[in-house]
Amino acid sequence: MFRRVAAFGVTGSAIAVLVAMTLSGTASARVAAAASTVSCKNPVTIGVAYPETGPAASIGTLQYNWAAQAATKWNSSHSVKIKLVKGDTQLGNGTSFAIAVAHAFASNGAMVAVTGPAGSQEMQDTSTIWHGAGLAPISGSETRVALTRSVSNPSTGPRETTPGYFFRTVPNDGQQAATAAAYIHSVLKKTKVEIIDDGEGYSTGLRDFLKVALKADHVTVTTNHITQTDTNFSTVIASIPAGTQLIYIPWQLSSQAENFYTQLHAAGKGSITVFGSDGTDDPSTFKGAGSYVTAFPYDPSNPVVKAFANHHGGNAETFGLPSYTATWVNATAIQAECAAHGNKITRAEVRSKIAKVQLSSAQGLLGFPIQFLAKNAGLFQGPGDLGGKAAYYIYKIQSNGSYKRVQ
Amino acid sequence: MHLLLFTIYNSIKALGWHGAFELLRDGIVLGALYSLVALGYTLVYGILKLLNFAHGDVFMVGAFIGFGVLSVLGGPLNAVLSTVPLIIVMFAVSMLGSGALGLVIERFAYRPLRNAPRIAPLISALGVVFFLESSVQLLTNSTHSEYLNYPVYFALIKPAFTVNIAGTVEPINVIAILVVGTAIGLMLALMYLVNRTRLGKAMRATAFDREAASMMGIDTDRVIAATFFIGSALAGAAGVMYGLFNSDTYYLVGFAFGLKAFTAAVVGGIGSIEGAMLGGVLVGLVENFAGGYAGGQWKDIAVFGMLVVFLLVRPTGLLGSHAIQKV
Repeated sequence: MFRRVAAFGVTGSAIAVLVAMTLSGTASARVAAAASTVSCKNPVTIGVAYPETGPAASIGTLQYNWAAQAATKWNSSHSVKIKLVKGDTQLGNGTSFAIAVAHAFASNGAMVAVTGPAGSQEMQDTSTIWHGAGLAPISGSETRVALTRSVSNPSTGPRETTPGYFFRTVPNDGQQAATAAAYIHSVLKKTKVEIIDDGEGYSTGLRDFLKVALKADHVTVTTNHITQTDTNFSTVIASIPAGTQLIYIPWQLSSQAENFYTQLHAAGKGSITVFGSDGTDDPSTFKGAGSYVTAFPYDPSNPVVKAFANHHGGNAETFGLPSYTATWVNATAIQAECAAHGNKITRAEVRSKIAKVQLSSAQGLLGFPIQFLAKNAGLFQGPGDLGGKAAYYIYKIQSNGSYKRVQ
Repeated sequence: MHLLLFTIYNSIKALGWHGAFELLRDGIVLGALYSLVALGYTLVYGILKLLNFAHGDVFMVGAFIGFGVLSVLGGPLNAVLSTVPLIIVMFAVSMLGSGALGLVIERFAYRPLRNAPRIAPLISALGVVFFLESSVQLLTNSTHSEYLNYPVYFALIKPAFTVNIAGTVEPINVIAILVVGTAIGLMLALMYLVNRTRLGKAMRATAFDREAASMMGIDTDRVIAATFFIGSALAGAAGVMYGLFNSDTYYLVGFAFGLKAFTAAVVGGIGSIEGAMLGGVLVGLVENFAGGYAGGQWKDIAVFGMLVVFLLVRPTGLLGSHAIQKV
């Protein structure tokens, strides 16, 4: 028996030592990467964290297409070149993949900037990794308010990222909720709305803000829940309160939105309007005629946007467009720091420069100049949010599945 | 607790009789699917005293086989087959394919461990679960497979007839009738097979005493293989109907659905075919009514809470029998 105990002890100790070595090795790799100096003479690496596969792959592809477009256009007109490295976060399959991507990017000493990730819950779970690695991701789609601002209404909570370590090239959910609520109340004249969230941080945050905004307009609001793995919505459909005129779905998966819309109609409740958030803005998947969708802003008259649309069968893939802006901001910061530091840059230098980058309307493609706030502004915005005239668009889905802008 | 009861009371008032009817209708459809998958658990447990956790993923593979047939033969632009022959082919191919998968799993993951300690095949089953899920994930790039582009789906969601419940017209769609009718038909066919055929007699003998059955000249390996084939074929059929009913399938649906079907088998009485049918319907109804009246987040709590209660209060299930041990 003593021999058995001793054997257990030796084995356990060996395993513990192995784990500790691995962890310290990983941690030291990240520390080394954070402090390393990168030469601007070779293409400088920008990581792109996006859902290449998984339930949100259809919108992830749009994000990467636009980021790649930014890289191509940048390299054709600038002396400092950039190259993109992909990281598949599989949004919709939990955040473990996003965490793995964050670790991989953090350990990549050649990487000085990141575009992405896509989902707010991914930033919630990876913010400490980015902070520890000295990287400041710029997301083209994470809209949760608490990522840039501590909230006290409707819920209470601290800011979920460190100022200076997260930026976004999209308006946040405080603005999205205000836009949707105003349209639902003033234009659609709905007085009874149900909000069905999908349980993730993005969805519950947007639900809370929309609920407050609608109640301020004296709209009756009820709520219900699904999960991102649900495919059968018969229960939530059956439990829609009588008299509900509109269902708001702050979901990340456009395939779920389309599925829900179809099952709603199959249950004989097609008269209820469906209104999706920016996560459902995917014309290739969500085609529920008569539904509405909020979407990120962009400038359709911009020649870059027009050229992209022509190259993609007339589809500007606008969900992915803010990722172009994010990549361009990263590249601009990199170029500026290369010029200021003799063609050798660090993550810290790029990060502090990102906060000061300003792009013109033409450069940013969003229809307004790009600059990031340095401090809190208004009710919802905080450091890392876009300043200026950032606002959401609203589209109505036509009978042929196309999206027509109505606001 | 007060808040939950208050929520339930308000929901009952708000949804009314037509809301209750919708939950009942959809709960029966869901329950029929659970019953079919639960039968596979119960058949295998009855013969081998083995909990085949991979069964839920056989159901998932069956759904994808059905979708594969649909995408090849069912349009969306040029459907090779019309609705009825297409659905028959989907069922046939999926049941055969799932049955074959069940045979392979039995042969390579369970048979070598038949005389090993009970934990060994259980672990093997978990390994099969992850293997199947990861394989399908790789093949499908983790994306959902959607039925919405195919004409057959829209043919199935049309109302077959309507009923008037408290002044509200409620549709009963073609797909609901297909699911319930097919499930009942398959279950009756299984009961006939088990009770009226030589193979069924051999299955019952093997379940009663495998060693004695072998000594009486029954090829128990073939009987066990046939059991796996039949159970897996039923899961395949359930998979096809699941995909058509939900208009969607996904590589992760098998595990969660399988757990609830397992709950149905336990609640009904594991080892009892009639129990699996009853348990399935009960689980479907509990899930739907809990979700409808208490909120979507209570569905799984209610179902698995019911499992715990049954294990504590009536571990043999509703229709299971007490095993008599000779001392």
